[in-house]
Amino acid sequence: MVRLAITGLLLVLAACNGRDPQAIVFAVASAPTVLDPRLASDAASERVNALLFDRLVVLDDRGEPVAQMGRWQQLGPRHYRVELVPERRAFADGRQPDAHDVVATYQSVLDPALASPHRGGLAHIESIVAVDPSTVDFSLSRDDPLFPLRLTIGILPAAQARQTDAVETPRGSGAFAFQRRSGNGRLELRRRSDGQRLVIEQVADPTMRTLKLLRGEADLVQNDLPPEMVAYLADRPAVELTTRPGTTFAYLGFNMADPILARRQVRAAVAHAIDRDAIIRHLFGGRAEKAESVLRPGHWAGVGDMQPFGFDPETSRRLLAEAGFGPANPLNLVYKTSTDPLRLRIAHVFQQQLADVGIRLEIASYDWGTFFGDIKAGRFQLYSLAWVGVNSPDILRYAFHSASRPPAGANRGRYHSVVVDRLVEEAEKLQAAQAAVLLREAQRQVHDDLVYVPLWYEANVAVSGDVSGFAPGFDGNYLALQRVMKRDGH
Amino acid sequence: MTRLLKALADALLVLFGVSTLVFVLLAVVPGDPVDVVLGESAQSADREAMREALGLNRPLVERWGAFYLDLLQGDLGESLVRREPVSALIAQRLPWTLALAGAALLVVLLISLPAGMLAARNHNRWPDRAVQVIALLGLSIPNFWLGPLFVMLFSIGLGWLPVSGNQGAASVVLPALTLGLSMAAVSTRMLRASLLEIMSQPYLRTARCKGLDEHAVMYRHALPNALAPFITVLGLQLGALLAGAVITEVVFAWPGIGTLLVDAIGQRDYPVVQGVVLVIAFGYVLSNRLADLLVARVDPRIGAADTGAGT
Repeated sequence: MVRLAITGLLLVLAACNGRDPQAIVFAVASAPTVLDPRLASDAASERVNALLFDRLVVLDDRGEPVAQMGRWQQLGPRHYRVELVPERRAFADGRQPDAHDVVATYQSVLDPALASPHRGGLAHIESIVAVDPSTVDFSLSRDDPLFPLRLTIGILPAAQARQTDAVETPRGSGAFAFQRRSGNGRLELRRRSDGQRLVIEQVADPTMRTLKLLRGEADLVQNDLPPEMVAYLADRPAVELTTRPGTTFAYLGFNMADPILARRQVRAAVAHAIDRDAIIRHLFGGRAEKAESVLRPGHWAGVGDMQPFGFDPETSRRLLAEAGFGPANPLNLVYKTSTDPLRLRIAHVFQQQLADVGIRLEIASYDWGTFFGDIKAGRFQLYSLAWVGVNSPDILRYAFHSASRPPAGANRGRYHSVVVDRLVEEAEKLQAAQAAVLLREAQRQVHDDLVYVPLWYEANVAVSGDVSGFAPGFDGNYLALQRVMKRDGH
Repeated sequence: MTRLLKALADALLVLFGVSTLVFVLLAVVPGDPVDVVLGESAQSADREAMREALGLNRPLVERWGAFYLDLLQGDLGESLVRREPVSALIAQRLPWTLALAGAALLVVLLISLPAGMLAARNHNRWPDRAVQVIALLGLSIPNFWLGPLFVMLFSIGLGWLPVSGNQGAASVVLPALTLGLSMAAVSTRMLRASLLEIMSQPYLRTARCKGLDEHAVMYRHALPNALAPFITVLGLQLGALLAGAVITEVVFAWPGIGTLLVDAIGQRDYPVVQGVVLVIAFGYVLSNRLADLLVARVDPRIGAADTGAGT
């Protein structure tokens, strides 16, 4: 036994690395699962892939497409041309990306053999042709005036894109070059502009992330910290806390197929019983903003003047009474959530606030996989989730169109509105300015129908130790890592 | 030879049972592997094609048979999320778990052997009571609380050790201490009880009457005879260290199979869950068999009883 234990220790001695004091260490809650932009679908992978791979188009703070590698023009309703910009960055091997790389990347995404999660959104691409080394033509099977919004897949070198397996040594043209990935969730990158080393390290436990930052083992953390931890860090002079409004939209979802919750007055009673101001003030320490729709008011298709369902317990009680519920016949509901401590705390606040108007809320908390599986399968009455990093109006079809019920989409509440279906479908045929009008109308309808109780946009919070120049991205992206510097001037 | 074959048959039976149970459980829990691979926005034709490719359209019994066929060829499948062979993922992580388990076992031995002997030699006196109270504390404090407490003390307060992760050999100290302390509490109590029982035996009185000093009585006569139950418990603990290091691994960002398992369960990455659970079960079986062999070696009466000799 002693020998076995000593062998174990020797293994550790052999495998451990010392810390490079010049490297910037970014501690994250979840490590990226894949470093292949064609296969990345989780937020952590998307954010890291954006550092490694440039895209034809990126979306700005308002959700508008901006050229990164390519400028586009619409040659016809179903025909787009993308010209690669001359100032585009070279791949990590020094070769400049060309049209063949773009064609190979998009063709591989469309190849069923790759099983890319992005294939569904690009399935209407009929053909992709390299017109010349810096020009690509996309032909579509249907009109899609918002097609440039979909050109956000990272571009791989053609040789890598032809693989139907996940790329393990990415060689993109992004601001960072891949160096090494250990089996332990540690990813090492090198900033191409100045050679600065960046280590992305998974530290799942938020307390440990905080402690690592305070001890100088990590230089940066962003989001995924419980509010009390953020408040604690805000008082520490050794670290700098930066907050920026976020796009993560939290909501309370209803199952519209449930006979009780199918009645709008019951949903409205729930909505009026929830005091969002109190939750934002006490649980989030003010680091969230009240939300009315999934797209922020500043988004090009956002709505700025939505009438909120304010906190009004009297109205809530009246609506419940009208629906036939009262002290003698209380409304009992089951609320599903994950085991995340903050989500559970919020659930208990909801329970208390709903109890104040006479609604008995039973909280059912499950591990993430079971919880999410139940939500997709429609096995719930009430639940709460958040849309993270939403910037495309496609979300309205994805979350509210009646054809988007799981597994075909994320209409988890089984909402059905002929009006919303029509508005979303028509908007998809129009240019952005006209589409925005219909999309706003669709959001008003969704809001009025109370498919969700819109809750808040959680702010992005970054805490930095021995580095400067980091500010959280509007959608939680890591792009500010392009500018961050060690404080000693390195 | 017969005993070895019997042990092997037992081990295979346990592994078969565990793997079947995991296979069936994963087949019935909510969550669709197709969603894991294709996301929620996939078209129905693609979803159907993926179901076909993953064999999910086949009857459960057929899938179960295919799973074993692959397993017999050493193929644990491919991760749905990472798109890498499960065996490669486990091979990357297992050394870390073994290293942590080894270090934690060392902590268990370094604490429980002297503490157990100290308590037994001072039965009902203050050292015995102190050991019992400390052991009770070790048993009562959960690892997810003890870990950060150690970090606050040794990393933030004293600055001696790294908080977490992989920053040199010192990184293993805190997770090993966290993991080892609660297990040392069990082993200490077990060794104490076993020693007390042995020390009341007439042959030890005889040894003392023959003029042997307490040190010799303890090390030459009492301890070897008290070790059998202690080793059995250590064997169980080693298995638990492989399986139960999950919380400690997550807290300390230790890159072992525990964190791999937690991630895989959350992501519904079924092949990885199956593979890791199988490895953990194998670890349990192996550590228990090792403990049995060791017990038979330190106490030949047990080995003889197992083979039926002397009856």
